[in-house]
Amino acid sequence: MNHTRRKRHTRWWLLLAAIVVLTGIAFAIMWRPALAPLTTAPSFDNARIERGANLAHLGMCASCHTADLSRPFAGGKPMETPFGTVHSTNITPDRDTGIGAWSPEAFTRAMREGVARDGHLLYPAFPYNHYVRMTQDDIDDLYAYFMTRPAIAAPARDNDMTFPFGFRPLVGFWNVLYLDDTPWRPDPQQSAEWNRGAYLADAVAHCAACHTPRTKLGGPDLKRQLDGGEAEDWYAPALNRNSPSPLPWTREQLQAYLRTGMAEDHAVAGGPMQDVVMHLAQADEADVAALAAWTHSHLSQAPLRATPAQRDGPLPAPALDDPDLPRMRLGYALYTNSCARCHDVGRAPSSGTALPLQKAIALYDPDPRSLIHIVDSGILPPDGEAGRWMPGFKAILSDEQAGALAAYLRKYGAGEPAWPQLDQQVSKARAP
Amino acid sequence: MSADTGRRRFLAAGGALTLSFAMPAWSAPGELPKSLDKTPWLDAWIRIEADERITVFTGKAELGQGIKTALLQVVADELRIAPSRLTLVTADTARTPDEGMTAGSNSMKDSGAALRHAAGQVRMRLGELAAARLGVPAASLALKDGAFIAANGSRASFGQLVTGQELHLRATPQPAPPAPGPKTAIGHSLPRVDIPAKVAGGPAYVQDLRLPNMVHARVVRPPSQAATLTGLDAAAVMRLPGVLKVVRDGRFLAVIAEGEYRAVKAAAALARAARWDTPAALPVYPDVKALVMAQPAEPTTILARGARVQEGTHFKATYTRPFQLHASIGPSCAVAQLVEKRYTVWTHSQGVFPLRGALAELLAVKEEAIRCIHVEGSGCYGHNGADDVAADAALLARAFPGRPVRVQWMREDEHGWEPFGAAMVAQVAATLGPDGRIADWQYDVFTPPHNTRPGKAGNLLPATHLAKPFTPPVPTPSPQPEGSGDRNAIPYYRLPNARVTHHFQPKAVLRTSAMRGLGAYCNVFAIESFMDELARAARVDPVAFRLRHLEDPRAIDVVKLAAAKFGWDGYKRPSRRGRGFAFARYKNLASYCALAVEVEVARESGLVRVTRVSSAVDCGEIVNPDGVRNQIEGGIVQSASWTLLEQVRFDAARVLTVDWASYPILRFGQMPEQIDVHLIDRPGQPFLGTGEAAQGPAAAAVANAVFDACGLRMRDLPLDRARVRKA
Amino acid sequence: MTTYRLQVNGKPHAVNTDPDTPLLYVLRDDLALNGAKFGCGLGQCGSCTVIMDGKPVMSCLVPVSAVGARAVRTVEGLGSSDKPGVLQQAFIDEQAAQCGYCIAGMIMQATALLEKTPAPTDAQIRAHMSPNLCRCGTHMRILRAVRRAADRLAAGGKR
Repeated sequence: MNHTRRKRHTRWWLLLAAIVVLTGIAFAIMWRPALAPLTTAPSFDNARIERGANLAHLGMCASCHTADLSRPFAGGKPMETPFGTVHSTNITPDRDTGIGAWSPEAFTRAMREGVARDGHLLYPAFPYNHYVRMTQDDIDDLYAYFMTRPAIAAPARDNDMTFPFGFRPLVGFWNVLYLDDTPWRPDPQQSAEWNRGAYLADAVAHCAACHTPRTKLGGPDLKRQLDGGEAEDWYAPALNRNSPSPLPWTREQLQAYLRTGMAEDHAVAGGPMQDVVMHLAQADEADVAALAAWTHSHLSQAPLRATPAQRDGPLPAPALDDPDLPRMRLGYALYTNSCARCHDVGRAPSSGTALPLQKAIALYDPDPRSLIHIVDSGILPPDGEAGRWMPGFKAILSDEQAGALAAYLRKYGAGEPAWPQLDQQVSKARAP
Repeated sequence: MSADTGRRRFLAAGGALTLSFAMPAWSAPGELPKSLDKTPWLDAWIRIEADERITVFTGKAELGQGIKTALLQVVADELRIAPSRLTLVTADTARTPDEGMTAGSNSMKDSGAALRHAAGQVRMRLGELAAARLGVPAASLALKDGAFIAANGSRASFGQLVTGQELHLRATPQPAPPAPGPKTAIGHSLPRVDIPAKVAGGPAYVQDLRLPNMVHARVVRPPSQAATLTGLDAAAVMRLPGVLKVVRDGRFLAVIAEGEYRAVKAAAALARAARWDTPAALPVYPDVKALVMAQPAEPTTILARGARVQEGTHFKATYTRPFQLHASIGPSCAVAQLVEKRYTVWTHSQGVFPLRGALAELLAVKEEAIRCIHVEGSGCYGHNGADDVAADAALLARAFPGRPVRVQWMREDEHGWEPFGAAMVAQVAATLGPDGRIADWQYDVFTPPHNTRPGKAGNLLPATHLAKPFTPPVPTPSPQPEGSGDRNAIPYYRLPNARVTHHFQPKAVLRTSAMRGLGAYCNVFAIESFMDELARAARVDPVAFRLRHLEDPRAIDVVKLAAAKFGWDGYKRPSRRGRGFAFARYKNLASYCALAVEVEVARESGLVRVTRVSSAVDCGEIVNPDGVRNQIEGGIVQSASWTLLEQVRFDAARVLTVDWASYPILRFGQMPEQIDVHLIDRPGQPFLGTGEAAQGPAAAAVANAVFDACGLRMRDLPLDRARVRKA
Repeated sequence: MTTYRLQVNGKPHAVNTDPDTPLLYVLRDDLALNGAKFGCGLGQCGSCTVIMDGKPVMSCLVPVSAVGARAVRTVEGLGSSDKPGVLQQAFIDEQAAQCGYCIAGMIMQATALLEKTPAPTDAQIRAHMSPNLCRCGTHMRILRAVRRAADRLAAGGKR
């Protein structure tokens, strides 16, 4: 045989071998076996179930898995992701449509690896890349809790994914990049409470899933931990030295905020965060205190700075030499005639804790979406529960008015530079 | 027709009516119905003009319960005329009879009965006049469309017959025989006369009154009833645009302005300009039970029957109800004007005559100097802010005479200052005999007042804020059989040995007064929940257990009907759902109401959802069936809201539930899939009020259904989400 | 005080009032329209609901200075007690009122729904109506009235 021809043969063989190996690797990445269904109904002791309930509150499982309050954990909630709309699944112990046939191993595998019992890969809208770091004990507690909920028959709703993300096995590649199964370790330099908070924040409450920015592939940008992210088109502000809060958070304020959704004269939870605090309100108080301790240790890294929040009183009229005067005047008029009634000194008794707007963190966010959503939808208490009420103004303010108000508040409320492309952001945020 | 036949018919008819007199709710034979007794002149109730206009006068007020329409039906029926030919004038101290309060579901019983009686006698009198005029026997006349017609075709219309004082007659006790021919109006669901204007934006409410030269006022209430005004700098407020006057009398603060919103803004500025000392004067207890039980009480035994029985199984339970709100959707409003020493007050008070008395005392004038005219407000469900705002308006009219002064309470005023529904504790104990029947029953109900209505000026809120304040009179409970906090505390069941004690608490932590059903809401909740608990202990179906203890056939009928329509027998419990039953006869002498309810419970979210309700009601002779259905449906929904969601919250200093955000009520998203109301008509029986009949049964049926669904026996109202989650 | 030109029920109006006056007060006090009602002034109850630019809004929250050229419609614009519109007639037919105070707001809220979604499901009607409170408990009739109107319109009834 000729030397060149042998080389070509070799190259072909190598190529073939490479393809086979790669296919094998890909297959290994994308395929998972089904696990056998449960045959006997398991039983659990009450202490485990109670711990599981607490963990379910801390993990906010119901936020995604309960679409209809009268059918807890039956799934069906649509979640917008950059890759399409995913619907949460039924995690009640219904055998046919829920997890009733799931063994503890299947449940653990789902929590740690994002694989369903029958082997299909789950979309990382389910934050298993955080739950992977839960202890086995905690996962078992959660299992006990879910397997003892009333079973509700609710078949999974079809997802609406952008091509090609409808092909679930592709998630395997995402897992290679972002599923870090290094076990969580405490920091010996920190207190027990801080470490408890750190564990809960990372492995259970998965704060970073919203508060850390994502890469283009939808994974956490580990170089920018807690630098701010998003959830359901709301901007989740940074929780570290880049916190936009115009006033420093105290530990007590954080604790109150996480338990009640409100820190007097400082912050009110809106949008997805409202859901979070609703669940934390039902969790163990010491655990929430630990979360507050951990969060505070990061938030307190933010340098103190002078902001209008330190001043009381109504927001000022725009300067006469403002280059955008007509727009600022429109925003100011809207502020004075709409917002000030509750948000200024002139507020009525019923709206007692309406924040003076110079203190509103949303004005200081680098991203205007949270402000736009608050103005549009308001902040309402959950159905049938008492709470503070800010009405929504979406139908009242035209896009132009909403943009002018946001621009005015940004400049004369927060004293921050204008948000780029604010008008496009307003239209986009308001698109149905 | 011979006189004998006529007399026989007359007596037979009178006999039928006499039977109904046996019912305690009707007047006794030989007596006039209650309201007629007080105002016996026929033309005080019905006036006929030469131009055929017929005006009907009632001392009752339209509260949204459809009474206007129902009363017109009663009169229309007696006169055998179309209701559209009648005009109704309601409660006006200058024009109508004094029928006290429109309350207690007594409107049909009192005004309905009076009007039926009076209209019947008017018909008889007109018949006599027509007979004389036409020269034929009265019995030979036909009656149609407001005219008497003789056999030969000659006719005499009402307007022709009444040329002077023909109707200025005293009513006599003997009721007129029934009008000839079939009933035209009673028993039919006449569409309500007030709805067309309400769907089209026609003026309908006191809030819609626009009088010439009217000015607008807002009051600034103290932060709490115990708060004192330590300083007020009103100078800047007086300079605000539109402000005409700032009024201060002690702690009573108000501002009067041209332009309604200017009044609103000025009031906010006035509130900021005031400095208050708000002491921590409200007691803080861990729960409602501790709060109520800590108040001094005066016990009265209202039932002591038989002897104590020891043999059997003993059970006991305690049920509680928090302070709750009427929470009228339209905050209270009134307009008052003082011209030449005479006051006119337009008010949605439930009692314009008692209000006039209280205002006379407040303003130190004679009653004759005040005219109170009822104009509809939004639903009040009892004693809400209507009287207080009328007093605000009268005081401000005095401070600013000449022009009509309109006072509109804000949402926080109504939620924060209306008299509340009373917080109550009910303790029940019973012994189940070996035969599965209740052998012994003991019931103790602890409750603050359910009636602090004016009457006296001290019961008007602003009167207690004046520099020379009026003191609220010491309240006394209304006695049985109507009762107040002890309304429906005596079960309607056959209990051979029973003791019921009413522990009346004259001093309340917060001001309380009448709220739809009064004590019946809590008492029926407690009794019917406890009946359920006993039924389960006896291992008997809850419906069968109640039937075992009922004697009154009308009660038995509604119980069976509700159960049948629900599909009680053969009900298969779906996952997470359950059924509950309850029965009560309101006040033990008014309407009968039985309810069967299905709920769905989601323990993790705490959500209790009523999925369907079947109810059965016997309210005697039905005047307007649809009106009855509307009231019962509404009562069921409202009671479900009270039961599932509502409680007044307060801290050491003040009331905290000041708007819908802090005091949520049931919204569309939580409505059942279906509510059906089945009526049992009892022609010839007295009219029985239905407005409050469903409140108590709905509460108990829901609580019983929750137990059936998930085993949670909840005895403390409301059964709100937090409680269901924690349980 | 400033003069504002408003389009209400198809007619132009000029009102002279303060810029922060909520539309509710302008409708009631300046234009003598009774439909929209004061229930809370806080956007919590819906008694003041009107339609602005095709969308239901709580008129207690709309400063008159923010209305601009947007068309405002109130219940008076749907018909009169002599000639009620389809929804109004449906409310009459169902006797969907007790005290009636919330009803004008309900009708406007429902009108906005039926104009956008002519064939709503029962669930859609319930969800859409939830900003509006009724204290008397007339909800079931209100739902039936909206359903009745929707069915009538679908069958070709005139608005």
